[in-house]
Amino acid sequence: MIHLPKDETKAMVAVHGWSGILLGLLLYAVVLTGTAAVFAEEIGIWSAGHVTSQSAFERPMADTIRALGDRTPAQYHEAVDLFEVGDHDLGAFFHRHEMDKGELISRGIFYVVGKDGRVIHTQTGTNEDVFGPRNDSALSSFLVDTHVRLHVPNPWGLLLTGIVGLSMLVAAVSGLLIHRHLFKDIFTLRRKANPVLVNRDRHSVAGTWSLPFAFILAFTGSFFSFFGTIGVPIVAMAAFGGDVVALTEAVYGTPGKPDPRPAAIGNFDHITSDAIARAGAIPTFVAVESFGRADAKVTTYHPPKSGGLAPISLLYDGATAQFNQVKPLIGPAPSAGGTLAAIMSPLHLGNFAGLVSKAIWFGLGFAMCYVTYTGIRLWLVRREEGARSLGWLDRSLVIVGLGLPVALLASTVAFLVTMPMGSATYWTPASFLIASAVIILAGFLWRSSAAFARVLQAAMAAIMLILLPLRLLTGGPGWASAMAAGQPVIVALDLAFLLTGGWLLWSIVRTSQSRPSAEHGLLQAAE
Amino acid sequence: MSPTSRRWIRIAFAGPGAVIVALVMMAGMALWLPGGAAGIDNLILPLVLVPLVWAGLFFHACLDRRLGRVAIVAGGLFLIHGGLIAQKFAQAQPAATESHR
Repeated sequence: MIHLPKDETKAMVAVHGWSGILLGLLLYAVVLTGTAAVFAEEIGIWSAGHVTSQSAFERPMADTIRALGDRTPAQYHEAVDLFEVGDHDLGAFFHRHEMDKGELISRGIFYVVGKDGRVIHTQTGTNEDVFGPRNDSALSSFLVDTHVRLHVPNPWGLLLTGIVGLSMLVAAVSGLLIHRHLFKDIFTLRRKANPVLVNRDRHSVAGTWSLPFAFILAFTGSFFSFFGTIGVPIVAMAAFGGDVVALTEAVYGTPGKPDPRPAAIGNFDHITSDAIARAGAIPTFVAVESFGRADAKVTTYHPPKSGGLAPISLLYDGATAQFNQVKPLIGPAPSAGGTLAAIMSPLHLGNFAGLVSKAIWFGLGFAMCYVTYTGIRLWLVRREEGARSLGWLDRSLVIVGLGLPVALLASTVAFLVTMPMGSATYWTPASFLIASAVIILAGFLWRSSAAFARVLQAAMAAIMLILLPLRLLTGGPGWASAMAAGQPVIVALDLAFLLTGGWLLWSIVRTSQSRPSAEHGLLQAAE
Repeated sequence: MSPTSRRWIRIAFAGPGAVIVALVMMAGMALWLPGGAAGIDNLILPLVLVPLVWAGLFFHACLDRRLGRVAIVAGGLFLIHGGLIAQKFAQAQPAATESHR
């Protein structure tokens, strides 16, 4: 066990408290949206009512890729990204790399190919336009974007979430250091003690169990936030005199002798079927380098194999469509640094073992939200005893802690209503902002924070309960058709919302019957 | 030195000091770390490890009773890595590029 001297323990308690108080509300927002974003793919399927289960990479695409190459100007043949968009349509982004205001960007032409092989959408633009939200993915994109950069423009949003990640790292390590009896604390829940002790025990137990997870999330999250914003420019400055393209090429490029002779791209159907057979999974992304040249290379990216942690990528010769090698995700050959960097993403996203690992990550993320919320609450309760006026923080905690889920649910309602009209890209974030403004205003005007907490809880329950009828009314698939199409996730999410909404409603009724005037029932209500 | 001054110096080392030293170390590590089997470890490891380097410096500044030792560790790391970067620019030779090749 860790036994710090008294002064150091006191310092760590202060560091733990202030790291939570200064950035705790932002941390809560980042962790809550991140928890929901663990299921971003499933939420995308559920919200847009996607019922196609056959991947675009399982359909013939060789002729389509050749035809797209023929109609695309040669200046955009430098690289091609292939990935799925919408309801398993194929997205193909022919592009070149260029520097824009010191930032490496991709510019080119983006095509969406429908299931019948016809181009249904063409767009000229940069990677930001191509990989940005679309009408049918507006909700899941909104969740991810909120988590990644809190909708603050780059690079400031990423820097902000990176700093929040570091504060989480500090809170996790200092939380570990101040436990004098770690193993005892893990199992200590004094249910009959006074409310402050009961809540402290719950905070301590939830925090201790999720401590390794908090450390991993904070470490990987701050890595992602600082990687492109600070890390790459600084390392490129030191190692390549500031040449970011050279650094990117060294780390991600596929080495080989340049051969600029024109050569038709090989049979893509052979590449995709071979890659699926070798990796045992459908590619999540396919990248082509030097399209239409003799030295073209095709890399397919796949989720980790069963029991594995690092994603897999396979390298093919582009002109002949012949398998070349199993390629590390980062770097030309397996290496410690490449492997470490490659596992950062699955560790952060929790997608290395399908729905099981995602469910665990979701649960632990929820525990982190609980720990952050109750941590701030405990800090406030301790100060209340000292008769300090921190009412504004108490209200802010309710507004963010319970108001954020309500605002996210409001944006879900707006998405379901506006997606069929084609305006979800605008209305999903707009409704979130409108709901947030209303909640913030009402939160500071309401007679007490505890009463407002009950209102927010009721709003959360009501919205969750109307999501299923609303989804069906706006043209979403029913349970029978979703199951028949092989999309049980639609039914699972409907049930999750119904059960959570019902439980919240039951909890409100129970609380109002047992303790109608409880001024500090907020914490119990949130549990 | 008064306790208040010591506290503020400690805060300076734990706050801006840890950030600056971690960033300088990230740049400097790219110049001395081995490239590894793929020749990229010296480029990737500093990027991956910088949050942990920062956390190490932060907690050292908070917990080490001897403020002088905090200054020596942080200052030493800063000088060594800053010196490596200065030498690299003075020589204007892409050392890491060569190690990559």
